[in-house]
Amino acid sequence: MLLFLLSVGLTVIFGLLHFVNLAHGAFYAFGAYAGYSAVRWTGSFWGGFAIAPIAVAALGAALYFSLIRGMRHSGPMNQVLATFGLIFIFLDAFRIFWGDIALGIEPPASLAGTVEFLGIDYPAYRLFIIGLGLLIIAVLHLVLSRTQIGAIIRAGVDNGTMAGCLGINVEIVFFLVFCVGCALAGLAGAVAAPIVSISPNMGTEILIPSLIVVVIGGLGSLKGAVTGSLLVGFLQTFGAVLAPHVASIVIYALLASVLILKPAGLFPVRS
Amino acid sequence: MFRQTWTKTATLALIFAGLAAYNSFGGPFAKELVIEIAILAILAISLDFIGGYGGMISLAQGAVSGLGAYAFATVNVLFGASPLLALLSAILTAAAFGGAIGAVTARTKGIFFIMATLAFGQMAYVLVFDAKALGGDDGLPGIARLDLSRVGIDLQQPDQFAYFCLAALALTYLLAAVLLRSGFGRTLCGIRENEDRMRALGITVWRYKAAGSGFAGVFAGLSGALAAQQTMFVSPEMLTWTVSGEVLVVVILGGLGTLVGAPVGAAFLVFVKHFSSGLTNYWHLIIGFILVFAVWSGGRGIYGSIERLLTERALHRVPQRARSFKAAAATEAKADA
Repeated sequence: MLLFLLSVGLTVIFGLLHFVNLAHGAFYAFGAYAGYSAVRWTGSFWGGFAIAPIAVAALGAALYFSLIRGMRHSGPMNQVLATFGLIFIFLDAFRIFWGDIALGIEPPASLAGTVEFLGIDYPAYRLFIIGLGLLIIAVLHLVLSRTQIGAIIRAGVDNGTMAGCLGINVEIVFFLVFCVGCALAGLAGAVAAPIVSISPNMGTEILIPSLIVVVIGGLGSLKGAVTGSLLVGFLQTFGAVLAPHVASIVIYALLASVLILKPAGLFPVRS
Repeated sequence: MFRQTWTKTATLALIFAGLAAYNSFGGPFAKELVIEIAILAILAISLDFIGGYGGMISLAQGAVSGLGAYAFATVNVLFGASPLLALLSAILTAAAFGGAIGAVTARTKGIFFIMATLAFGQMAYVLVFDAKALGGDDGLPGIARLDLSRVGIDLQQPDQFAYFCLAALALTYLLAAVLLRSGFGRTLCGIRENEDRMRALGITVWRYKAAGSGFAGVFAGLSGALAAQQTMFVSPEMLTWTVSGEVLVVVILGGLGTLVGAPVGAAFLVFVKHFSSGLTNYWHLIIGFILVFAVWSGGRGIYGSIERLLTERALHRVPQRARSFKAAAATEAKADA
């Protein structure tokens, strides 16, 4: 589910803006750090939960205007490079502001215990993450398929120039989608903070799996992001239990075979 | 298409003279730096060859090189063979791996190609990391350097090893330049420019891509073998994707598609890394800003910017009538480089 929250932001940004954002993992880490500071400051988990997405969206907005808007048409290579540079910058920025030592926050008291679910004791907080992920899938799906904003976004993905000709301000839509994508990354970071340790490297570590999810699922497709994150998540978890030696390689093999057989991913947006 | 212009020759001569002098007159630390620069530059040439001229910007180049290093270590330490045999097997292994990646990913383009190479690189990393026979995440120590005592060179001496690495770098540059000037290299550039047209001309594109990637693997394998000899130790860290990313940074900083940019960028990065780490702990921050700036300012890199500056100044000097002709030639040269 964490993977999903992250990759859906990536995929929407890529699908709509044709922008490859390697710094997305850094946004996720920033979300976790912002969540940590907000928890410290407000004294409650929900403070971090609310503030982190806003902080990350603000950071994304600042980056959009300073760097990303000018680079939208400069080819994937330059985008990869510039955002790779951003990874470096953020990595050290986190170390400067929050130090090298891994930090942690407590899950909220109301979600601290375990819940019996289908006869198994399951940590309540993890159920909460799953529920949150499902909720976000539902909301995104509804917005994208049932509302006018969703129609505008889909039109922008399909053919941005045409949508612009029909009087839609594609630039603003792009900007908003970029912010939402960043906010989702921040939310993922804040939600992940209690179950993983917050360290400068957490963004780089999750970047590769989420990129794999996006590419397997097909760039820019919500369905693909859901399927891809489920596929990768299950392979990672069950693989680690059932066949630990091959688990780590299976995901890369899956990615390689998807790319060779269906170079545009499982659910390509465009034919 | 590749042209060995006088600016390239001059830059190369400057770099080699500078590094050789630094190696001879600098302290013990200078020799380590020169070795590091030479090894990184060879790997960067490998990436520039396949990326700048072949149009395939691979994020597996670090893994290809690391695999070469592991081949060297395996043959040398586990099989007890001579370092010369190990060097050959390192180059062959890396070439085979590079060629395989090139063949399999030939159909993918743009970001998909980048992701596919990333996947193969990570696959190699995970395999090596999990291989107990290769020492797993502990790596393999006890690697010997080449024995060149018959020609009076002792590679155990840091300065002689540094000269050896510089010679390897020169050889790599020469080989890459010759390859790029040959019909093969021109075909590779043609594929980068317009794949469909090359296909229409009757060229089996994937074969050229695989071969180009294989040649890049040769250089990467050489670089890996040298790296293994330098530290006399190999570890899975050599195969991670951030290594490939760093090489990409080198190529971009130096100038993509110039070949000379590779040693320029390598020297720049290594010096910045070592001298800024003396001042601050956060050299990544500096490199990050430099990289973002380099891409944002047009992505020509250090060498590309210098070359542009020189050609522009030459344009100002020639009289008005000759200028239009010169300008056309310059833009053509830029497109070719």
